[in-house]
Amino acid sequence: MNLALVGINHRTAPVEVRERMNIPEARLEEAVADLAHRDGITEGLILSTCNRVEVIANAQNNVAAEPVIRRFLADHHHCDLAAYEPHFYRYRQQQVVEHLFRVASSLDSMIVGEPQILGQLKQAYNVARQAGALNGTLNEIVLQALTVARKVRRDTAIGASAVSVSYAAVELARKIFRDLTGTTIFVIGAGKMSEIAAKNLIRSGASAIFVSNRTYERATELAKAFHGTAIRFEELFDHVQKADIVICSTSAPHYVIHREHAEKWLAARKNRPIFFIDISVPRNVDPAINQLDNAFVYDIDDLGQVVEANKKQREREASWAEEIVQDEVQKAMRRMASREVVPTIVALEQRLEHIRESELERYRGRLNALSPQQREAVEALTKGILNKILHGPITELKSGAGRPEQSSLVQVVRKIFGVVE
Amino acid sequence: MYAILLWAALGFYFAGIVLMVPSVVRRHPLLSPAALGALGVGLALHASSLAVRAINLHRLPVIDVQSTLSFYGFLVTLAFFLAYLRYRINVLGIFMLPLVFVLTLISALRPGPSFQSVAFRSGWLMVHIACVLVGYVGFFLTFIAAVMYLIQEGQLKSKSPRGLYYRLPSLEVCDELYGRSLMFGLPFLTLGILTGFFWATRMWHGPWELDPKILAALITWLIYLFLFSARISGSWPGRRSAYVAILGFAVIMVTFIGISFVSGWHGYLPNLGSLH
Repeated sequence: MNLALVGINHRTAPVEVRERMNIPEARLEEAVADLAHRDGITEGLILSTCNRVEVIANAQNNVAAEPVIRRFLADHHHCDLAAYEPHFYRYRQQQVVEHLFRVASSLDSMIVGEPQILGQLKQAYNVARQAGALNGTLNEIVLQALTVARKVRRDTAIGASAVSVSYAAVELARKIFRDLTGTTIFVIGAGKMSEIAAKNLIRSGASAIFVSNRTYERATELAKAFHGTAIRFEELFDHVQKADIVICSTSAPHYVIHREHAEKWLAARKNRPIFFIDISVPRNVDPAINQLDNAFVYDIDDLGQVVEANKKQREREASWAEEIVQDEVQKAMRRMASREVVPTIVALEQRLEHIRESELERYRGRLNALSPQQREAVEALTKGILNKILHGPITELKSGAGRPEQSSLVQVVRKIFGVVE
Repeated sequence: MYAILLWAALGFYFAGIVLMVPSVVRRHPLLSPAALGALGVGLALHASSLAVRAINLHRLPVIDVQSTLSFYGFLVTLAFFLAYLRYRINVLGIFMLPLVFVLTLISALRPGPSFQSVAFRSGWLMVHIACVLVGYVGFFLTFIAAVMYLIQEGQLKSKSPRGLYYRLPSLEVCDELYGRSLMFGLPFLTLGILTGFFWATRMWHGPWELDPKILAALITWLIYLFLFSARISGSWPGRRSAYVAILGFAVIMVTFIGISFVSGWHGYLPNLGSLH
């Protein structure tokens, strides 16, 4: 395993640079094949999205992969990479595994926890497989990254809370009403904002919808778009009590819904709650209504506050996700390392056995005089010496599996015992 | 045998509660199979301990405070499983099961006198006790639902959600659980009180009507009857009903545990509570 990664993302590079370095989907297969077939490179993977470009290569043991990746990028984009130098980050070996696991788990994303990145990585993996660029260690690591990402999704709520105002309203509605299926929405003021809010709620299952607006024509338009019912503004107050969720966004410079209205509706609704979403500025719903039992009033700032709380929650979830990722990185490295150790141990044993046999061969003439028992003793003696010598290095190699110094230890053992690959 | 099974059940309950914590803290959509498995085994062991007890006594193991507590704990765990299967609320276990653990622990620590009162041979009395206990299980769930409702309502009103906001179900679900458990508990308590009256008029001679436990039970019944009618008419907001439900359960606790030690007729003491 000799991994290297060169990449840029939304934190290290402005959009102009990311655009310049982007490798469009149409050319991805050709590009990753080009990368993997360069001298000394055994495997390659390219992940190119609007927020990041990551180029990963696995190389033969004596090859430095990073310069090859840089040359590849320069060739591919027909440019001098030096100009973009400060935007690139580079990783080797374990860092590559860690970075890939974090990216897959959406911990490196602009919006932590966003779900798209997993699909994008899967896509990159498929393309690289098709191009024949993945067939060994890197292949395995990418598959593990996908598994780790799924584990993070399953074991943390990293993507669960809304981090946008319009979705926060839907989520709040879900904390009041079990789900939105069958809930009724009343839109007062048929502006763009209320249209977006209503659309989100309907997409989440809300069924019936009423629309009321100062100009009745606009109300009918919007009602038609949502297969709802338009209500004349004057008759508005007789109908709101049917609604579970009231979206208010008129241009009136004063409260449209007062406490007395809400009290009347709540009484008529026999304690079914009403959720007022007031997205108008100046506000249209008297905030005092929030003090009434079963009435919940959220204005645009309140929604923002909920989003902030959700973001904090996400940060906590992210720190748990980090723990999972670090844990998995260690596991993956240990697996890789022990796999690298095994061939060395086998080669070492073969090498010493070969020495023993050839030495016995050399002395065969003189040993012929020995009795069968004595010859057996010589055999046992030489084997015993060999095992005693091997015991130290083998234990050391096995116990060192997974540690950072492992790789150099393997090299040292190979060198001093004269084991060739 | 009874004690061994009970202690084993306690061990599994404890493991189940501990295993539940990560699922709740990290907001997994479901409880881990390990947690549910441990609780399931605990429930089975608890059931067998009660069965052994019942066989030894030839009647329901509700004839002294300790085994009644154990029996009640068992019913609450059963109710937890049913509620969990229906609603998949992870946090419900954290709210409900510590009580089970404590009740069962008390029961295990003090196995209680296994006296043989003639009174407990009566089938009517068994029906009376069983009905009241099942009713109390329903009202415990009502109490938990009310607490969850109040916390979630407070979070929504405050507009700055904290940890529990993310883990508790919606107000509508809390309210539904509240209503269903109330509707479930009330008929059983009513039946329990009626069978009690029926039995007492036949068997007891004396001013048993003034027994503190009977008076407390009547107060409990009136509280829940009020909540029931408030729910049917839809005239009382969820928040206020929730407070009353909490009060109701406090009265039950006093009735169930407190007065058992002071009431003559209902005291679980070998020399009293029998025929006069």
